Amino acid sequence: MSPETQAPHWEWYYIAMYFYIGGISAGAYFIGSLVELLGNVKQREISRIAYYIAFPLICITPILLIADLGQPVRFWHLFFYTKDGIPYINHQSPLSVGTWALLLYSGMSFLSFLRVLGADGRLKSPAVKNLLNLFNRIPHKVYAMIGSFFGFFTAGYTGVLLNTTARPLWEATDPLIGSLFIVSAASTGAAAIALAMSRQNIASGETFVQLEIFDRVAMIVELLLIIVMVIIAGQYAGPILRGWFGLMFWGGTVAVGILVPLWLNWSARRPGSAVNNPVMLSAVLILFGGALLRISLVQAGQM
Amino acid sequence: MIMGSNMAECHPVAFRWPLKAKTDHGAVLMHVDPRFTRTTAMCDIHAPIRAGTDIVFLGAIINHVINSKRWNTDSFFKEYVVNYTNAAMLISPDFKDTEDLNGVFSGLSEDGKAYSNASWSYQRNPAPKPAVAEAKTFTDLLLQRVPGRPKTDPTLKNPQTVYQIIRRHYKRYTPEMVEKICGCPKEKFLTVADTLLNNSGRDKTSNITYAVGWTQHTVGVQIIRTAGMLQALLGNIGRPGGGVLALRGHATIQGSTDIATLYHSLPGYLNMPDARKNHDTFKDFILTESVPLSTSYWGNYPKFAVSYFKAQFGDAATKENDYGYDYHPKITGDHSHLPMFVDMMSGKIKGFFVMGQNPAVGGQNARFQRKALAKLDWMVVRDFFETETAAFWRNSPEVKEGEVKPSDIKTEVFFLPAAMVAEMEGSFTNTQRLLQQHEKAADPPDDARSDIWFTYSLGKQLKKLYGNSPKDHDWAIRNLYWSYDPEPSEVASFRIKDEPSAYKVLKEINGYTWEDKKPLSSFVNLKEDGSTVCGAWIYTGVIPEEGKNNAARRQGDNWISPNWGFAWPANRHIMYNRASADPSGKPWSEKKKLVYWDAAADSGTKDAKGKPLIGKWVAPSGEGIDFQPTKAPNFRGKDNGIGFDWLSGNDAFIMRADGKAWLFAPSGLVDGPMPTHYEPYESPVTNLLYKQQSNPVAKTWNVPGNPYHKVADPDYPIVVSTYRLTEHHLTGVMTRWLPWLAELMPELFCEISPELAEEKSIKNAEYMTIETARGKIQARALVTRRMRPFTINGKTIHEIGLPWHWGWQGRAQSDVVNNLSVLVADPNVTIHEGKVFTCNVRAGKRGGAA
Amino acid sequence: MAKGMFVDVSICTGCKACQVACKEWNGLEGEPSHFHKVPNVPYPIAFNFTGNSYDNTGSLSATDWRHVRFIEQFNENRSEARWLFSSDSCKHCNDAGCLNACPVKAIVRTDMGNVVVQQDVCIGCKYCIPSCPYGVISFSEKTGTVHKCTLCNDRIHNGLGTACAKACPTGSISFGEVSELKAKADARLVQLKALGHAEANIYGYTEAGGLNVFYLFMDKPSAYGQPEHPVVPQRRLFRSAAITVFTAVAVAVAALISFRERGAKKNEGVKP
Repeated sequence: MSPETQAPHWEWYYIAMYFYIGGISAGAYFIGSLVELLGNVKQREISRIAYYIAFPLICITPILLIADLGQPVRFWHLFFYTKDGIPYINHQSPLSVGTWALLLYSGMSFLSFLRVLGADGRLKSPAVKNLLNLFNRIPHKVYAMIGSFFGFFTAGYTGVLLNTTARPLWEATDPLIGSLFIVSAASTGAAAIALAMSRQNIASGETFVQLEIFDRVAMIVELLLIIVMVIIAGQYAGPILRGWFGLMFWGGTVAVGILVPLWLNWSARRPGSAVNNPVMLSAVLILFGGALLRISLVQAGQM
Repeated sequence: MIMGSNMAECHPVAFRWPLKAKTDHGAVLMHVDPRFTRTTAMCDIHAPIRAGTDIVFLGAIINHVINSKRWNTDSFFKEYVVNYTNAAMLISPDFKDTEDLNGVFSGLSEDGKAYSNASWSYQRNPAPKPAVAEAKTFTDLLLQRVPGRPKTDPTLKNPQTVYQIIRRHYKRYTPEMVEKICGCPKEKFLTVADTLLNNSGRDKTSNITYAVGWTQHTVGVQIIRTAGMLQALLGNIGRPGGGVLALRGHATIQGSTDIATLYHSLPGYLNMPDARKNHDTFKDFILTESVPLSTSYWGNYPKFAVSYFKAQFGDAATKENDYGYDYHPKITGDHSHLPMFVDMMSGKIKGFFVMGQNPAVGGQNARFQRKALAKLDWMVVRDFFETETAAFWRNSPEVKEGEVKPSDIKTEVFFLPAAMVAEMEGSFTNTQRLLQQHEKAADPPDDARSDIWFTYSLGKQLKKLYGNSPKDHDWAIRNLYWSYDPEPSEVASFRIKDEPSAYKVLKEINGYTWEDKKPLSSFVNLKEDGSTVCGAWIYTGVIPEEGKNNAARRQGDNWISPNWGFAWPANRHIMYNRASADPSGKPWSEKKKLVYWDAAADSGTKDAKGKPLIGKWVAPSGEGIDFQPTKAPNFRGKDNGIGFDWLSGNDAFIMRADGKAWLFAPSGLVDGPMPTHYEPYESPVTNLLYKQQSNPVAKTWNVPGNPYHKVADPDYPIVVSTYRLTEHHLTGVMTRWLPWLAELMPELFCEISPELAEEKSIKNAEYMTIETARGKIQARALVTRRMRPFTINGKTIHEIGLPWHWGWQGRAQSDVVNNLSVLVADPNVTIHEGKVFTCNVRAGKRGGAA
Repeated sequence: MAKGMFVDVSICTGCKACQVACKEWNGLEGEPSHFHKVPNVPYPIAFNFTGNSYDNTGSLSATDWRHVRFIEQFNENRSEARWLFSSDSCKHCNDAGCLNACPVKAIVRTDMGNVVVQQDVCIGCKYCIPSCPYGVISFSEKTGTVHKCTLCNDRIHNGLGTACAKACPTGSISFGEVSELKAKADARLVQLKALGHAEANIYGYTEAGGLNVFYLFMDKPSAYGQPEHPVVPQRRLFRSAAITVFTAVAVAVAALISFRERGAKKNEGVKP
């Protein structure tokens, strides 16, 4: 462990928020695309909602990332090396690889977004319709597969990015943050879809229940990962155990974001319970917990 | 042994050499100092002592050495001491030592303020018959006044020998006494003493290095004397790796005393004509100054003096008008910095030039000095930033706190921009008497000008203004030889075309024959008939021929480096190096060979009959030989001669009137022939060795605004020392305005031991207040074990330390440390006692808040 | 031919000439966080006193490319008294965390082995900063890019040595061919051990692939704030990437299981 490292001074409202929003988008997308690839017609609703959610969310992320740069107008250097103009990737840098993955995922989620717009008859512009027809020559499942792959990448690489540094908290929690972020993305993605469904009053039925079960499993795995991660971090887990970030992490993410939704759901499902399943509330709490997970981990590592 | 110095911090570039001696040659470095500094960190041994107790420590080493088995059985020591020091001289039977008189010497006046040194003199043989009957020249006058040779007892058994007197004087300076008074553990002291003793002798030499940690005491000169005595007893003087090295403070400050910016000197260490002495006529001056020294190389004093006056007045200086002596200024008292400011405070001083100086911060009892500045009619400050001195009238602490109103200050302040070091050409003379040429790299900007330009232009303006005034007291300025305009080639690459020629100034200092203006290559060619000009005889040889400046040479080797720059006198790097050979002229050892007598060599000179003289001193390393080149080791000097004629082949110390190193100083110092432990003027303890507490003849000023603390004053029980850091220079004018240096040491801090900090509830990095009867300041506390309490005679005495670089201007600002100190000084040279006084401390800021 | 520096702390006197020479040559300003504006004074005033021995610099930054450490080792009765100094800077690692992390190839290694930041390429993403095990490379708000010691890249490519080595009065910092410097360091270590300095050690022969700026320490590296066995972060990349991929696959499988066609199967006991 290095006694002296410096913090990158990433603002929570740019980088941690990017991790979070990117996670929801990617999580929703890979749920939606997996369902489309392998599910039945009844489950198409999930996919449709997922594709509606994914792209707008991912549109916010470049703004956040570019705003945090010291030289924002140079963001295109991430794709082309300035001295020779050739596209550039650095395989040793999760940030470099992740940027390309984010680009490709964004592209795929855009296509999926266009498709659901078209399918719902919401496209007016003929030019756009023609564009869609062009893309529709290739079956959407191909895009969904590619997008799903890069979606997972987008959800998880940010955790690998943190682990591949020398900051004590991030080095000590190696190699688990990437996994944790993927599982959290799955959970928050599912919660976002659930929230959308409940707002459209379609949060019921077999499909919805499957979504709920998926989210519950994700949350339990998330909790286990958190516990294992804190244990392996040992003496370096301090920043996440104490102070405001400790409160955010345990009170916010674990208690409010995982335990309470699990309990709410469990008590609603108990035989003889008169309470209705508070879908919207649970979804909001899960989403809240996911935000605090990113903020606390990213900012506590910079303390 | 580094003592009275923080060499690594204050002379970081020079310190590479002690470190190299340590790493490459296994030298042992020892640091004797109250604090653990960056110097101590690099040394092998640290002996901590309470500030101001150096003479106890050094005197105890002397006592230890002369009673040791090694010193008494290894023949080297007695041989060196008997032949090269005044150990064997007999002192007047009237002499009484401090052991006899409770801490003072015989000769103290009724009021206890001054000594007469009559009882300190040698017993002498009858004066010889004069070599000349009629005196035609100044030299003849000296030849008529040669005293009898001092009586000696080479066996050193006679109780009146210097050697026996020294034994008696230092008898009570024991390791136990060191522990009691200095607070240094006995074992540590003995380690230092034995290391010096065992590393001296034929094959090894030891060096003692000091700086202002020794000079800035009321016994400053005597502390240095003790080291000189010790090194003479150990046979380390005049030998490679030996000696006493005075680390001079700033770049070219050695040059500043050589060419005499000091009020009491003429260049080359002649004395300033003094209205208080028998200096009425030029003849009086020559006799008063030269007779006591005529039996040394100073016997050539008339030649040095005449050549100096000829340099000042050129053609106007003639034999008839005594070379302008009558018109030359004479001092009427002690005009050094401290008494000058006391005079300034009482309104006696009207105008003041302040060049490269900042007394508002650097002056002792700084509040007193700032208030004194307000009494001037006018002041000219030349510097490159608005120093605290230049700004005192508008924003000094006294003004800001309302104690003084700017409208009440009638001093008219002129602030002129000065050039920086890289913008000036000239020679530097540094610590080891080495002259090195320093080149100008660029013009100063706009109206900024060098000090030489300013002084030269001022002189030219004054000469114009004095016009044809017939008044006697205007004669000197009107007839001043003042011609240093540059040759076009010297200023070709620069914008400022009237920058005076530093070469011409150096050439005048070097000396030349007046008639043909040819430079002199040696001071042996100086004459007392007005045919030679010489600004400072010790520099003669730096420009041996027109256009050749030895200060510009840059060929170094790994030892003496005779072709790097020019060491005065005559490129001699180790003074008195005759002593590097034994009385018969052989080197003491092959390892320490430097200068020795080659009996078979052709000296290059011939005798009266034209036969070549065989035998000369040689130095294969190229080192200058500090002795008459052809004088055989067994030569017996002429009893009625002066200068080299009087000195014998074993009189290595050619500038001393007896040719010997002085263990006992019969004259020259006003506070005693031997160093004696006196407590600092302000001390928390009484003198445990004598009834006499402090230096009886220390200079004090009992004037309003300069209150002294009592001895063991209960209100001020803590010892304070002021000192310097590497990161800042003096009052910070050259450093506190630079962001790169300001951020290295941004704020005043006080170094304090954890023991004292706990006692006073002072926390590290928070503010603390330090107070004396003169002033109160706040500083950040730096709590560190590098400071330690001392146990003095069973009592705990605390010491704190303050670097004094800060003022209220610049990018790093803090309180002025010298607000705390007081006007008190060494009586020989009036240097202030800045290294030790007393104070009190408490937690919190000056105004009371935390 | 790799160029580098050897820092022999045994002859460092803590004078900070290296810090100042570096600033002077590279035209660096006073560290902005060390200064603040004060009313009625025309320039910012320094206020960065730390109380940490003689070290007011604190750490390396975008404008502090050299930093002298002061380590006081005194026991209560001062029978053990030592003050260690060490001038810290970029180590120009052969396996450099910062270079490995940069997504835009702003950080490159020159033909002399030193690692430099191309100021016109850097986008200020700051990912290199936590990737350095030594906490060297730093961000400047003013330029929006990162900065660190360049090994005086312009000087060394014009026949000169580094500014700090030139200014160092005792020769504690020396510049040259790394192989020659290693020989010098080895000899010095032998000399120090012979004098009884058993704790003396060389730091930088194997760390981070070998450091081109390496040290002779008089105490354990941790006494000087250096990691004992630093792991360049990218050496851990494969493991965390692999585990993350495994997790992704597991989540995909979980999704498959959750959302599979149930056909006739009903979900028992689940209320809407």
